[in-house]
Amino acid sequence: MIPELGTFAIILALCFSVLQIFHGRQSAVFGQAIFLSMAMLSLIICLITNDVTVLYVRDHSHFSLPLFYRIGAAWGGHEGSLLLWCLILSYWSALFCIFGYKKMSKQISEKMLMTLGLISTGFILFLLLTSNPFFRDFPTALIVGNDLMPVLQDPGLIFHPPVLYSGYVGCALSFAFAIAVLIKGNMTTADARACRIWIILPWSFLGCGIVSGSWWAYRELGWGGWWFWDPVENASLLPWLSATALLHSLIVSEKRHTFLGWTVLLAIITFTLSLIGTFLVRSGVLVSVHAFANDPTRGLFLLGFLTILIGGSLLLYSFRIGKFYQNVNFALFSRETMLLLNTILLLTAVFTILIGTLYPILLDALNLGKISVGEPYFNTIFIPLVLFVLLLMGIAPHIKWQKDQTSTLLKLGLPFLFSSMIVASVSFIFSTTLYTLLGIFFSAWVLLSTLQYAIKIRKNSLRHSGMIVAHIGIAILALGITFNKTYSTEKQLRIHPNESIQFANHDFYFDRINTNQGPNYQSVQAIFLVQHQKKLIGEIDAEQRIYTSHDEILSHPGILFNFWRDLYIALGNRFPDGSWSVRLYYRPFVRWIWSGGLLTVLGGLLSVLVRYKKEKPA
Amino acid sequence: MKKIRVLLPLVLFMLIAGLLFRGLKLHPEKIPSPLIGKSVPQFSLSTLDNPNRTLTQSIFTGHVTLLNVWATWCEACSIEHPFLMHLVKDEHIIIDGLDYRDDDETAKKWLQQMGNPYQIILTDPTGNAAIDWGVYGTPETFIIDKNSHIRYRQIGAIDETTWTTVLKPLVEQLEHE
Repeated sequence: MIPELGTFAIILALCFSVLQIFHGRQSAVFGQAIFLSMAMLSLIICLITNDVTVLYVRDHSHFSLPLFYRIGAAWGGHEGSLLLWCLILSYWSALFCIFGYKKMSKQISEKMLMTLGLISTGFILFLLLTSNPFFRDFPTALIVGNDLMPVLQDPGLIFHPPVLYSGYVGCALSFAFAIAVLIKGNMTTADARACRIWIILPWSFLGCGIVSGSWWAYRELGWGGWWFWDPVENASLLPWLSATALLHSLIVSEKRHTFLGWTVLLAIITFTLSLIGTFLVRSGVLVSVHAFANDPTRGLFLLGFLTILIGGSLLLYSFRIGKFYQNVNFALFSRETMLLLNTILLLTAVFTILIGTLYPILLDALNLGKISVGEPYFNTIFIPLVLFVLLLMGIAPHIKWQKDQTSTLLKLGLPFLFSSMIVASVSFIFSTTLYTLLGIFFSAWVLLSTLQYAIKIRKNSLRHSGMIVAHIGIAILALGITFNKTYSTEKQLRIHPNESIQFANHDFYFDRINTNQGPNYQSVQAIFLVQHQKKLIGEIDAEQRIYTSHDEILSHPGILFNFWRDLYIALGNRFPDGSWSVRLYYRPFVRWIWSGGLLTVLGGLLSVLVRYKKEKPA
Repeated sequence: MKKIRVLLPLVLFMLIAGLLFRGLKLHPEKIPSPLIGKSVPQFSLSTLDNPNRTLTQSIFTGHVTLLNVWATWCEACSIEHPFLMHLVKDEHIIIDGLDYRDDDETAKKWLQQMGNPYQIILTDPTGNAAIDWGVYGTPETFIIDKNSHIRYRQIGAIDETTWTTVLKPLVEQLEHE
């Protein structure tokens, strides 16, 4: 009964979304949100009651699966995560109706809802026709579920996908805005201002999703890395970079009423990338560590829809963009130029990563063999671009709009001097490489010049607090990455219980082996006692889990962390002589990377709050 | 000139979309085992019944063999197991086993209960030999011809359908080579 209700709710939601295309009414949005919520609730109930007649439940749950993960299983598989996609889109649209609809001109708001209705219809159709999570099959024999994939059985499953999806799907709002603006033929300053939070919010969610994904991979995969340039990771980084560019371009559109066409194009590109991301993850075109269930017909449907939607909007763009041409009204040395350069650099980064991600398909399509593009390519191309962006980040806030004297640069002498001094002292004390020094220099440069800017505008600092926090976050992130890449060490070895090993200035004593029985797995735990300068500083439990329902062995690393570094142990095989293979990792500054990322997200949220507060009295 | 420039994003997108459409028809996950057509990897492994006896790749010469990689902790293996018993009993197929990352005593007990379809059982407690064979997970089955060349690799359990449609015809063909 419940599964049929779920399907029925999806069908009703589809009717509302079709209505939304033609009328752009708010009631259609709310109807959709309510019925999709009901569908999601039905799916969760099916999972909790372990109704194995529902195929989705059979494939992603098991009677031994803890309740917590049963709820998470609602988006642990393809069908469920697609339902989540539609649900989140309806929530974004509803949020827009409540908080944004009246702030924009009616023409724009209405067209935006219509565009969102179109996207929603496409995805709900996709859900119903190819991936209905409520599809039932009545088995004749007694069966048990296949269980959730072991890698997904982690608290991260509950939060990471909804947050990341909120980011992906939220890009639809700025896309809808771009389409509405193109149809209307102009973008007013008020509209641009009202649109800003609908870019910053999804951008913050995307950032948060990327950080939580990185943290999850670090904790679960046992490889001691926090970023692998894996296609699925790239799929989330690409829209983030492009949204960052869009964010900055929109500032110029709002304050200076220029770059209008560029903003519109960036909005379309951002949503395209987020759709391509969804497509790459869902279609199985690329193989990645995130091995989801694949089905070519689904890929075909999704790609067809993507082509029509994006192809159509780019066609519209090429017809209407003429209306947005303007004369250049700023000098070469001005904040406009700085921001333009910044967006171009970010977009270049987007394209190089996209090429790297799609290159394996290209070679395969030309029958040149199957390859994978790895870290060396991405690092070689991405790092110089990022360094250049960091350089601009330190300068741009200090430069005036429209036209400024090059002598303004002299005011940045202090940050420059201090950064150089830091680099000089680091190179004096530690062994380094050129990239390390550049990384340290530019991180310090961004940090110090942002602080100088904060001091300069201290009377007005609340208004710019979001930007200041976000830029400081990036500086900390860059510093964390630099130190982490330079000073990480690792070691693989065989060790017997009660033996001791020295690594990265710490003594690791293999104390004992524990065996445990988890709810749906058996685990072996190796307990290490860690000493630093003859003092016991903690214990690391490296674990190996065997998930019986999946016949899968998963290494669950043990981590001992503080402000400066992580000590990380992954447990490998046991040898017949009683020794174990273990991998030890020393990961300095890795917490800085995530903290910096989160600070950037916080900056985004802060600027939304400040904006909302400022607008309220008016 | 301007007209052409504004079409640039569209053209670029269409190129990418075309590439992705093409990509749908390719199957990156179907990377054929690089071992197909090659001799079996060299090994020297103990057998389950006698840990002091070590065998090498020479055991495969002279007859068509199925090498089944299994483990007692693998549930899919216990589902596959009755079918392997049927193959040996009713179709007289030679199956050797590679016991993957397992405990000898547990394995012996397991076989006592479930029956033993294997002619020879090699043990690989560390999983090192399985790495040489490029094993992803259990169960996996390799078909090895009379000259001890690997001819096919089956990932996942063998059932009636895969046996009659894929494996059996190949085994019969190899018998006549």
